Amino acid sequence: MDIFTKSLWIITGIWFIVSMIKDKERTLNSMKMSKKMMGNMLGQIIGILFLIGLILTFIPPHVIKEYLGGSNVFIATIVSALIGSITLIPAFVAFPLVGSIVDMGASIVPAVAFLTTLTMVGFVTFNLEKQEFGKKFAFLRNSLSFLFAILISMVMGVIL
Amino acid sequence: MMDIIKKNRFLVAVILIYLVLFMTNMEKASLSVGNSFYYIKEMLMIMPVIFLLTALIEAWVPKEMIMEYLGDESGLKGSFISLLLGSVSAGPIYAAFPVCKTLLKKGASISNIVVILSAWAVIKIPMLANEAKFLSPKFMAVRWILTTISIIIMGYIISKLVKREDIPMEEERIEEGRLLIKEKYCIGCGICRELAPKYFKIENQKAIVINKDIEEQWEEKIRKAKEKCPANAIVFSEAKKPGKRFNKELTEIE
Repeated sequence: MDIFTKSLWIITGIWFIVSMIKDKERTLNSMKMSKKMMGNMLGQIIGILFLIGLILTFIPPHVIKEYLGGSNVFIATIVSALIGSITLIPAFVAFPLVGSIVDMGASIVPAVAFLTTLTMVGFVTFNLEKQEFGKKFAFLRNSLSFLFAILISMVMGVIL
Repeated sequence: MMDIIKKNRFLVAVILIYLVLFMTNMEKASLSVGNSFYYIKEMLMIMPVIFLLTALIEAWVPKEMIMEYLGDESGLKGSFISLLLGSVSAGPIYAAFPVCKTLLKKGASISNIVVILSAWAVIKIPMLANEAKFLSPKFMAVRWILTTISIIIMGYIISKLVKREDIPMEEERIEEGRLLIKEKYCIGCGICRELAPKYFKIENQKAIVINKDIEEQWEEKIRKAKEKCPANAIVFSEAKKPGKRFNKELTEIE
């Protein structure tokens, strides 16, 4: 286990023990809620993890490098941002998927664009948002989020 | 059975691919399983701790208190508080819609609402842990900083372009003493059933009201369920009892 995961375990573990001592019922209740949310995602999580295996086996790294890493980065970024906007998978399961593709040699620029639009832009939830906050708000928030996602990914490409 | 398959369509599809693969190309199939194994192992190490962290944040961060400071004059401080509120909340972005609508009605500024919604979507403290694990701590930190800056700028831009009048504010009026659930927002967590099993039931992953007749001794429990609902999906208008409310106010002053 890497140092990062270890320290996270230690901090959370201590907090959990304190929490149980202070208010057992409250802790257990909120664990139940958290369990339910995780439970709903479990099928997707397992699915994605096994899909990663297939990708690593069948898509040779040079293909990934060519389409997501070479001179096509700009187009790849726009396409990734669009895919991120229409997909509705929890970010939680997206990280290992994106991580594996980056490990294979994909540029991080499209990766960041995908991760950011995945959560911030929602074609599927657009109607719901429009209903609650009005057309103008929903349209502006989603399109600005899209633009900023591209911007963030470009800046990250320069920094990292 | 059909329900389980439907709910896990994606997993079923992946399993089918594997089945076909095992029959046609044993070697590639076991290679794929082997490749997945590393990620499964990593996921198993981080998942329980993320689960715990989500639960602990939900239990101990006093969101009601945070929500007090979100008005039009809140400025940059309001932005940071909004950022914090969004970051510590659990659930997908659509779970944030009703919460933000309520805040807007209570007087939160539009820029703060944009910040809460965006932070709710992108910045989740437990998710940051996952990102650092599968990409790298540096990747996570840089993306976090850039996203935070972007979100605050976005809030500012949108608050200049969208006015309060542009946002539909119809009051949801329901009869007194009535109870209902906004089905679209319910995430089926089951807390309401836990608290007031006489009134709530989970059916097809959504809570439903099974008893319209609200008895007085249950009101407290229902009120609690409404407060605890992570998606703010419960609408409950209490029957007016002037004497009782007066007493309650008195005890609060004491």
